[in-house]
Amino acid sequence: MKKSRMHLMLCAGTGCVSNGSFRIKADLEQELGKHELQDEIAVVMTGCNGFCAQGPVMVVQPDNIFYQLLSEKDIPHLVEEHFLKGRPVKRLMYTPSLEKAPVPKMSEIDFFEKQRLIALRNRGMIDPEKIEEAIARGGYRALARALTSMTSQEIIQTVKDSGLRGRGGAGFPTGRKWESAASHHSKEKYIICNADEGDPGAFMDRSIIESDPHSVLEGMAIAGKAVGAGQGYIYIRTEYPLALQRLNLAIKQAMEYGLLGHDILGTGFDFDISVFRGAGAFVCGESSALRASIQGDPPEPFSKQVHATEKGLWEKPTVLNNVETLAIVPEIIKRGAGWFSQIGTETSKGTKVFALVGKVRNTGLVEVPMGITLREIIFDIGGGMENGKAFKAVQTGGPSGGCIPASLLDLPIDYERLTEVGSMMGSGGMIVMDEDNCMVDVARYFLEFLRSESCGKCTACREGVDAMYRIVTDICDGKGNQGDIQLLEELSQAVKDGSLCQLGATASNPVLSTLRYFKDEYETHINEQRCPAGVCRALITYTIDAEKCNACLLCVKNCPQQAISGEKGKPQTIDQEKCIKCGVCRDVCRSEAVTVQ
Amino acid sequence: MSSQGSNNKVGSVLVVGAGIGGMQASLDLANAGFKVYLVERSPAIGGVMSQLDKTFPTNDCAMCTLAPRMVECGSHINIEKLTYSEVESIEGEPGAFKVRVRKKARSVKADQCTGCGECMANCLVRNRAYVEPAEPEPLELTPGELSEVNRILAEHEGERGSVLPILQDINARYKWLPPGAMRHVSEAVGIPLSRVLRIATFYNVFSLEPRGEHIIRVCLGTACHVKGGSRILESLERELDVQAGRTTGDRRFTLEAVRCLGCCGLAPVVTIDEDVYGKITPQKIVKALDKYPA
Repeated sequence: MKKSRMHLMLCAGTGCVSNGSFRIKADLEQELGKHELQDEIAVVMTGCNGFCAQGPVMVVQPDNIFYQLLSEKDIPHLVEEHFLKGRPVKRLMYTPSLEKAPVPKMSEIDFFEKQRLIALRNRGMIDPEKIEEAIARGGYRALARALTSMTSQEIIQTVKDSGLRGRGGAGFPTGRKWESAASHHSKEKYIICNADEGDPGAFMDRSIIESDPHSVLEGMAIAGKAVGAGQGYIYIRTEYPLALQRLNLAIKQAMEYGLLGHDILGTGFDFDISVFRGAGAFVCGESSALRASIQGDPPEPFSKQVHATEKGLWEKPTVLNNVETLAIVPEIIKRGAGWFSQIGTETSKGTKVFALVGKVRNTGLVEVPMGITLREIIFDIGGGMENGKAFKAVQTGGPSGGCIPASLLDLPIDYERLTEVGSMMGSGGMIVMDEDNCMVDVARYFLEFLRSESCGKCTACREGVDAMYRIVTDICDGKGNQGDIQLLEELSQAVKDGSLCQLGATASNPVLSTLRYFKDEYETHINEQRCPAGVCRALITYTIDAEKCNACLLCVKNCPQQAISGEKGKPQTIDQEKCIKCGVCRDVCRSEAVTVQ
Repeated sequence: MSSQGSNNKVGSVLVVGAGIGGMQASLDLANAGFKVYLVERSPAIGGVMSQLDKTFPTNDCAMCTLAPRMVECGSHINIEKLTYSEVESIEGEPGAFKVRVRKKARSVKADQCTGCGECMANCLVRNRAYVEPAEPEPLELTPGELSEVNRILAEHEGERGSVLPILQDINARYKWLPPGAMRHVSEAVGIPLSRVLRIATFYNVFSLEPRGEHIIRVCLGTACHVKGGSRILESLERELDVQAGRTTGDRRFTLEAVRCLGCCGLAPVVTIDEDVYGKITPQKIVKALDKYPA
């Protein structure tokens, strides 16, 4: 490998690519060539760096200097100042707020400072399309150890002792799952990696695969050795083309290096991995539906009286683990169960990756130790609320989870605590909402999602969720009735009791948790026909504040209904008859004259 | 039941389809005093349930549910059964419909027939008594399409449970699943067409109608929702004058709403073909459409 004095680690995750990181790469290489630096400085396209909101981002190593929001026109200046003359460009660094000075080093930025990387250990450090870089960072070392100097029982015991629990949501102890699959005798066994990341608002699985696919492959092979399986499947969402491409490439490279396939590392252990593309069905993230989908059956969940570890895929013992769980496994094997189990809380060990998104300043992926409080995540790492608005709630656990209010911000996060407050860990989506978000509308959103994603097998889920959706929609439309809240609570219980799989069993969580903490909002909608957050369209009106309006006519130009009129040079008014409440006028107004009530 | 509203409406109801649902509806209406016309395409009432053993989720015996209703329906004075008939046209408005029903030739006097079955037993072209004329279905594939589908089939030769990957490849190739291709897959893989269709309709990526040149996906994941994703969708609906899930008349764009593209850090997000547009506003996305010619 050629040595370079400087590495420019340019992020090539989905977020940064969409902001033009490949164009930046071309420009960088061209500028470096102009100054004849191409042999001294290497441009590396890494996987997702996690700080997606500031993309495209680039880290200059070995100085660890972090540049953000790069654009093509910055490149000539950047190359000349920093890479030629050695003066880092302050203008392109992360600036916490206007009063504060820019922070040059990545490790000193709040967003990165409090994170502890295990599953994401290689993010931004390697080119995910080159297996050599993964190996140089310690990849496949754990597999080598597992194959050469550990028995299956020892591997399982290590994982059990570490306290690792499934990162897909339910939190079942990984070691126990493996032990159960290992105890059943069968010639064929299967390891399935669940990368069907359907929870809206979570993207850690995509990011892990895009930035470090080999960690997942290694984890699967170790699991294969532990339970005696020779075949692995990765079930990946079709919405993730880049992850799919990198995964296929990684498998090909690992096969070439003899780290997958026949007789791995000369130990006589065979393990193959096939990739299976999903086709856009949320329920396929559920284990029994996922198995049915691979088998070519209609992907409807079925009763799990017999565990998958006894009779799973093709009726053979099967272990199904989440991407993040499998990516953590090699680190546990390498560094020992004791090292892992000292991180985290009593019941939940290690770290968890959260997708911190919504109305928070620093959005992106964060990996933090279990037991950290929501306040630390949102206000320290996340840098607080966007645009200085007030925090209202944070939604965790996707459609199975709930909304946690401001009063519980100091809650330490682990599996049990989140369940206690009516939410759940889920796959780790964390959507921050501010005062402009209506909680009834959020409940309606999740019900609509579940209503269209319910497979329809169980009547309680199919009809019950739909009935709840219609009631909540009526409330949003100002047609709510007294007794609706009670009816919702009753329906929630019925849906929970009458559903086979977790999609139905947890479908009422978004409603129940918003009812629990934000009942007053429901009541305002029903009793006063008012939406306090100004979201529910039937209950709001847009008006133009005559004192603030400077008659720039931007709103008049942009209104799709021609509902705004007035004399030239005078404040404008909205014709409420014509207004469809699309909110375009409010978006385009520069003097904040359009108000919503 | 619409006759209850005003006085000038006629007190009769037409029920289409005499399956379990149609029969129950007819019985309820007939018992409530309405005259019911029950139209059924096949020669007998009863529908598909008569072919089932048990019903989900209670495992009740299907025939035990069905038989009493069939008997009651068959003898109810208020229900006029129009079997072996099809609705040809419906005109009018709620309360005053005019319906044309084509009653197919049965060549048997229904009011005199006792259902003894003698005619059927003695028929020379036996078992053809109830054969419906086969409808010509234009499901032929062009030679080009056929070889393309065969190529995809060959790629998945020998894979276990490979219907889904085959359909995905066909969908990726044509942007939709042509009916002829599905029939061909069903025959080649040896899986009933109904099952192929069940899979094709279950997953969101498949389209059963042709799609446009460019596919616009508006993310409605949670992060995009709280940042106004649905307003982006509405502005596109207005601009293109199509509903989500449909294709513009000129086949230039297909507008789709999707659940999370996994770019939550860039919310709200729209993708057009392979291009990702992050932190988009209604105004910006409408402008971006110009980059995609017809």
